[in-house]
Amino acid sequence: MKKTHIVLIIFSAILVGSIMWTYFDASTYANFELADNNKGQTFTVVGYLDKEADMNFDARKSIFTFTAIDKAGEKKVVIYNQPKPTDFERSEEITMKGVSTDSVFVASEILMKCPSKYNEQNQMAGSNNSYTE
Amino acid sequence: MDYIGEHLWAGNLGRFSVILAFVSALIAAFAYFKSEKNTTDSSWKSFARISFYVHLLAVFSVVGTLFFMMANHYFEYDYVWKHTSLDLPPKYLFSAFWEGQEGSFILWLFWHAVLGFVLLKTAKKWEASTMIILCLVQAFLASMVMGVYLGGLKIGQSPFILVRELPENLSLPWVQMKDYLQMIPAFLDGSGLNPLLQNYWMTIHPPTLFLGFASTLIPFAFAIAAMVKNDYSTWLKPAIPWAFFSVMILGTGILMGGAWAYEALSFGGFWAWDPVENSSLVPWLVMVGAGHLLIIDKNRGGYTRSAIVFSILSFILILYSTFLTRSGVLGDSSVHAFVDLGLSGQLLIYLLFFTVIAFAIFFAKMGKMPKGKNDESLSSRDYWMFIGQLVLLISALQITFTTSIPVNNSLIGPDGWIPLLQEKIAPPTDAIGHYNKIQVPFAIVITLLVGISHFLRYKDTPNVAFKKVIRSVIVSLTLTIVTAYGLNFFDESNALLHVLLLFTSYFAIFGNLDFWISLLKGKLKLMGPSLAHIGFGLIILGSLISNFKKEIISKSDEYIHKNFPANENVLIELNDTVQLGEYKVTWVGEKFEGTHNYYQLDFFKKNVNHPDFSLSPPILINEQMGNNAEPATLHNLTYDLYTHVTYADLRPAEEKNAPWSEESEIVMGRGDSVIYANSFLVFDSIAFDVTNSQDPKNPNLLLVAKISIYNMDGNVYSAMPILTLEGNTIGHIEDEISEMGIKLNFDKVDPETGKITLKAFTKNEEEPEIIIIKAIIFPFINLLWIGCFAMAIGTVISIYQRIKSNA
Repeated sequence: MKKTHIVLIIFSAILVGSIMWTYFDASTYANFELADNNKGQTFTVVGYLDKEADMNFDARKSIFTFTAIDKAGEKKVVIYNQPKPTDFERSEEITMKGVSTDSVFVASEILMKCPSKYNEQNQMAGSNNSYTE
Repeated sequence: MDYIGEHLWAGNLGRFSVILAFVSALIAAFAYFKSEKNTTDSSWKSFARISFYVHLLAVFSVVGTLFFMMANHYFEYDYVWKHTSLDLPPKYLFSAFWEGQEGSFILWLFWHAVLGFVLLKTAKKWEASTMIILCLVQAFLASMVMGVYLGGLKIGQSPFILVRELPENLSLPWVQMKDYLQMIPAFLDGSGLNPLLQNYWMTIHPPTLFLGFASTLIPFAFAIAAMVKNDYSTWLKPAIPWAFFSVMILGTGILMGGAWAYEALSFGGFWAWDPVENSSLVPWLVMVGAGHLLIIDKNRGGYTRSAIVFSILSFILILYSTFLTRSGVLGDSSVHAFVDLGLSGQLLIYLLFFTVIAFAIFFAKMGKMPKGKNDESLSSRDYWMFIGQLVLLISALQITFTTSIPVNNSLIGPDGWIPLLQEKIAPPTDAIGHYNKIQVPFAIVITLLVGISHFLRYKDTPNVAFKKVIRSVIVSLTLTIVTAYGLNFFDESNALLHVLLLFTSYFAIFGNLDFWISLLKGKLKLMGPSLAHIGFGLIILGSLISNFKKEIISKSDEYIHKNFPANENVLIELNDTVQLGEYKVTWVGEKFEGTHNYYQLDFFKKNVNHPDFSLSPPILINEQMGNNAEPATLHNLTYDLYTHVTYADLRPAEEKNAPWSEESEIVMGRGDSVIYANSFLVFDSIAFDVTNSQDPKNPNLLLVAKISIYNMDGNVYSAMPILTLEGNTIGHIEDEISEMGIKLNFDKVDPETGKITLKAFTKNEEEPEIIIIKAIIFPFINLLWIGCFAMAIGTVISIYQRIKSNA
């Protein structure tokens, strides 16, 4: 066996390994029900803002509370211990990463999707910062 | 019908130029193909060249027309209306030009045409075969901005379309108005350029990046041409400078994007592993591999297959990333991407066409390609260089893989074409952590190889040569220990990997420095490769230190949960002072200037009475596009202090300082009770009174509502808001219960039901104004920027040397 063959075998092994790693790191999109059944485990929930419900940002405690409706239609109160993202009310869709607790969903990261006129502008995506569009 | 005030000639010229560009590209490709078949007859070649010159002119005409329309505010055109406005400063006209997809396709088309011209003039015997590929690509790109319908199928999106021609407007009544431009106010001004892009970085970053994208086409064209002509040796010489030109420009474009994010977006750093950033990084990594493999193949032979695969792959990955960012498939994971213009199908055809053609030729010809003569020695430079390029490829493929998770979902996800997966896979929850974790080991191997490769010799290396490395190892080791202790590298979870990368980055820098000084005797013209590699080492070193050792000085000590990140923001009251790291920071006020609201923060370190420095991170105020916080950064030699506002009360001053809250409407019948502001309001009775009036026939009527207010402490207050009727004029006399901070206004009464409507207000407490900010220290981030310059300059020098020796 030539050295190039060995190299190619090692190459393939590392490639497969790193891609497998990607899958271990990947999370799954979930709804609140799944997150509620696995409390304490991190999930990515995609939903939208319940505009009827109260939304409150307590700047002093830096706790932002709102109600989200997931794609299955389930409502849940979400708390986020970061400043309220700018123009949160205008979001069309919210992607929340976090864990469910007994009463609320605690989000550690929130990503918003705003109406398409924003998207077209080639802007940066926001995570736990204030820029949001 | 003739519309008044339209500039139809511009749109017609634009559309004609696009079609001419498309047709002339196809003709040029065909003529070059003929000239390649029949080399004795030069008439096809001259015809091909003329066609290409026509194409070049047509592309210039497309660019010029669109630019002219934008500069002259022809708002009847959709693209002009969407991306410019009368108040847009002329210097941002360029940003507006490529803000939309159509404009950026035209920019790409433009660069290909310019590069094609250079190729035509310089490629000599490779002219015809490479130009065929380039012209075919141009035909595809031109079709992207054609905007014609073929049997209901939309081909391309034209920037020369009138607003009234948009499908969604066709049936609207104003389209039938002759003078709609004069009559409809919306056409008097465009909607304007997104203020986020009104930034000098947006003037230079996209054209550089697109030149980078365009440049990957040339090595691709050479690789295809080499396979078709079965000539695997002479293409290397001209292809190498092109590959490194691509490395230089694309790399510069990517880093400019990073600099823009760092300077103008409150992004928290220069690199966030966003899918859009990744999709230009990946082709760059592969192009670096391609360039090096071309060099190994030229110097040693036997690497034809990998040199060709890498050259093909880089361009294919550019197409793939175009597809990713423009088809809307990334929607969930990056908001950075363009919206879907309905071109995904066409983009997919574009991608598949060149992928299938390139790899079909490759697999057909693979068997005949020259192979390595003998097994390489483990101490040879070519062997380890080759390994290095493979590691680059793995690194690139891993990034592609994670970035492509949304594509996987639409292919094999539950709603995809072939539903293999039970549920949709989401990108890693901590994307930055994910990439850093996986990419650090690759970076260690690469920097190690970058440091050592120059000391190795082709074929194999005598032992004496290894001794020369020792000096750099010792220097790097010393610096690693100093840095690791100085910046506390040892007390973290990934200490081993990070310290290793610290060492290998230093080694990449000093290995190349030593090689240049002692082996190349410090000759300036031989400096290129060493300098570029030193730059690469500095980039990795700078990213490593500034990223893993960044200190969020606004981080709170309080954790709400052990698994939860602490709050990284700090609240400051107006004129109050907080401690941030080693600074005392005072928020002294805000000021609105132009489009930005600036929040002045004074930083005190040594002095107590006057600040050492001030930073004023702004918020860009924009009703239409949404507000956006921008950072303010203090640049020091050894560190940057980076701040931005994460929350500010943006209500107008009169609303913020209003004494009373907004009104609440309360409708009550007699005896009803209502909860308002933590108290019970009970409507007891209504009294009717007539007051003295000059005119006895029209007395002043008074309606007095008696409301009892029970607060939580059990106290009862009585309020009597009054509704007056003087002649035909209704008046209100409010009643304020100062103990409760409540004010009631008797608004009206319904004579049929006897229900009354009250307007209730609560007193606003006087709260100090607050903002919330985030502040980060990035240590030694300047190493990164110095590295960028060094890499770019080093690459330019080596390209220059190669072109000179080729000539």
